[in-house]
Amino acid sequence: MIEPLKVLIVEDEALLAMELESLVEDAGHSVVGWATSLTEARSMVDTTDADIAFVDIHLTDGPTGVEVAEYIGEQKNSMVVFMTANPKRIPDHFAGAVGVIAKPYTMNGLMSALRYLQEGVRRPPPVSVLPAGFTLSPAFETVWAAPSN
Amino acid sequence: MDWKHTREPADAWHMTDDLHAEHGKGDPFAAAIRATRMSMIITDPRRADNPIVFVNDAFLRLTGYAREDILGKNCRFLQGPQTDKAAIDKVRDAVAARTDVSVDVLNYRKDGSTFWNALYISPVSNGSGELQFFFASQLDVTDRKRSEHRITADKERFEKAVKERTRELEAALEAQTTLLHEVDHRVKNNLQMISSLIVMQSRTIKDEATKQSMTTMLERIEALSTVHRRLYQSKDVSKFDVSDFARDLITDLLTASGRSEIKSTLDLEPIVISAEKATPVALMVNELVTNALKHAFKEKPDGTTAGRIGIKMSQPDGHFNIEVSDDGVGMADASGDASFGMRLIKSLARQLRAHIEWRDAGPGTRVVISMPNEPRQKGNMS
Repeated sequence: MIEPLKVLIVEDEALLAMELESLVEDAGHSVVGWATSLTEARSMVDTTDADIAFVDIHLTDGPTGVEVAEYIGEQKNSMVVFMTANPKRIPDHFAGAVGVIAKPYTMNGLMSALRYLQEGVRRPPPVSVLPAGFTLSPAFETVWAAPSN
Repeated sequence: MDWKHTREPADAWHMTDDLHAEHGKGDPFAAAIRATRMSMIITDPRRADNPIVFVNDAFLRLTGYAREDILGKNCRFLQGPQTDKAAIDKVRDAVAARTDVSVDVLNYRKDGSTFWNALYISPVSNGSGELQFFFASQLDVTDRKRSEHRITADKERFEKAVKERTRELEAALEAQTTLLHEVDHRVKNNLQMISSLIVMQSRTIKDEATKQSMTTMLERIEALSTVHRRLYQSKDVSKFDVSDFARDLITDLLTASGRSEIKSTLDLEPIVISAEKATPVALMVNELVTNALKHAFKEKPDGTTAGRIGIKMSQPDGHFNIEVSDDGVGMADASGDASFGMRLIKSLARQLRAHIEWRDAGPGTRVVISMPNEPRQKGNMS
C-alpha cells in the first residue's frame, strides 16, 4: 500500500471543491486545505504541507491560478496539477506544474488521476496508464512518460 | 545623320538656327529636326559647361523660352526646386561617362510651370571616335506621370483600406473567439457541476437500485462531458474525432467498473464526424459499452467473470461503422427492448439515420451500427 496523499484544493466553485474533497477522501487521501483565491492560496501554501495541489485557473480574484502555481513552485513544497475548463490559458511551460486535468473530468477520470499522481509522488515514475483527460506538462512528459496502452 | 561631311559641326548647327544661314539649309535631316514636333537640342561638350548649340522650335514651344534666351547656356535652367536630385545625378553621370541615358525628370518652363520630361540623351562622336555633341530629346509625359501618381495614390489608399478592414475583421474575430471561449468555459464548468451534484446526491442514497440509476445517469452526463472536453480541445470546433472519444470512454468506463479482468480490444480508424453528430454518437457508444459491462459478463459456469469488450470503427465509402462487441453471456440475457437505455439507442439511431443491428457473436453479442457520413475525412485533430 502506497502512502496516501495530502491534497490542497485551490478552486473558487464551492460545489466543485466539495465534490473534489469527497472524491479525494473516498480514494483514501486527505485534504489539507481549500483556497478560493490567490491570497488564500498563498497563506495556505505557507501554513500547510501538501503533496499535491489541484489548482483551478479562474479563482475569485481572477485568472490567478498560474500565479498560485508559480508561488507553490517557489516554495517547492508540493506538486501542482491544474484543473481547468480552459486549458488554453495555461502557459506553455505550465508554471512548473505536473500537468492539467481538463474539466469537465469524469468521476473515474479523477480517481485514475489520483492513483496516477499517487504513484508519481510516492514512487515515480507512475506505472498506471495516463488517465483520459489528463495531460502532462512537457517537462513531466519526459520524466513520467507513461507506458503506452 | 552624317556628321562627317561637316568640318565645323558646331558652327554649322549654330548656323542652321539662323534661318538665313546657307549652310545646312538644304539638308533634309536638319530640316526635319527643325520642324519635328519632338523637342530636340544639341549641346557641345567640347565647350565650357557643355552649352546648348542648337534648339528646335518644338523645344521652344515646350519650355516657353526664346531661342536667344538659351543658346549658349547649359541645360540646367530646366531644373527647379522639385526636380529629383537622383535624376539629375543620373544625367550628369551619363554625360561624364559619355553614355546615353533615358530618365523621367521634372522640368520647369520659363513661366515657372512644371512638366514631366522623358529625357533621352545620347553622345555623338565623329568617325575617329571623338565626342562631338550630345543630342537630347524631350517628351512631355506629364499626363502619363499624373496617372502613374494617381494609380500609386489609389493603390496606397486601397492598401490602407484593406489593412483597416483586416484589422477590423481580426478584432471582430478575436472578440468572437473570446466569447466562444467564455461560453465554452461556462458549459464545461456547468457540466462539471451537474456531475458533482449527481455524485454527491447519490452518496446519500441507500437504495441500491436508485443508486444504480444515478450512476447510469452520471455515466451519460459524463459521456456528454467527454464529448465537450474533446470537442473544444481540438483546433476545429466543428469537427469531432470519434475514435479519440471512444478511446477515452472505454478507458474511463473500464477503470470505473473496477473489473480489471475485463479487457478491451480497440480497432479504431481515425474518423471525423461533424460536431452536431458528436453527442448522439457518443451517447450511443456509451450506452452500448455500459450495457455490455453491466450485463454481458455474468459469472460463467467456471466461476470466472473475465471478458473482452471490443470497439471497432471504420469508414467504408461514405459510411461510418461502429461495432461494439463482447464475448459475454449473449443476447438471450440482454435487458428487454423496453429499457430506457434501449429506447435511447434506437432513438439516437433514428436521429443519425443509422442502421443498428444486434448479432449473436457466439459467444457474446456484436452490435453493428452503420450510418452515412460526410465525404471521407481522416482525423488529425487529437
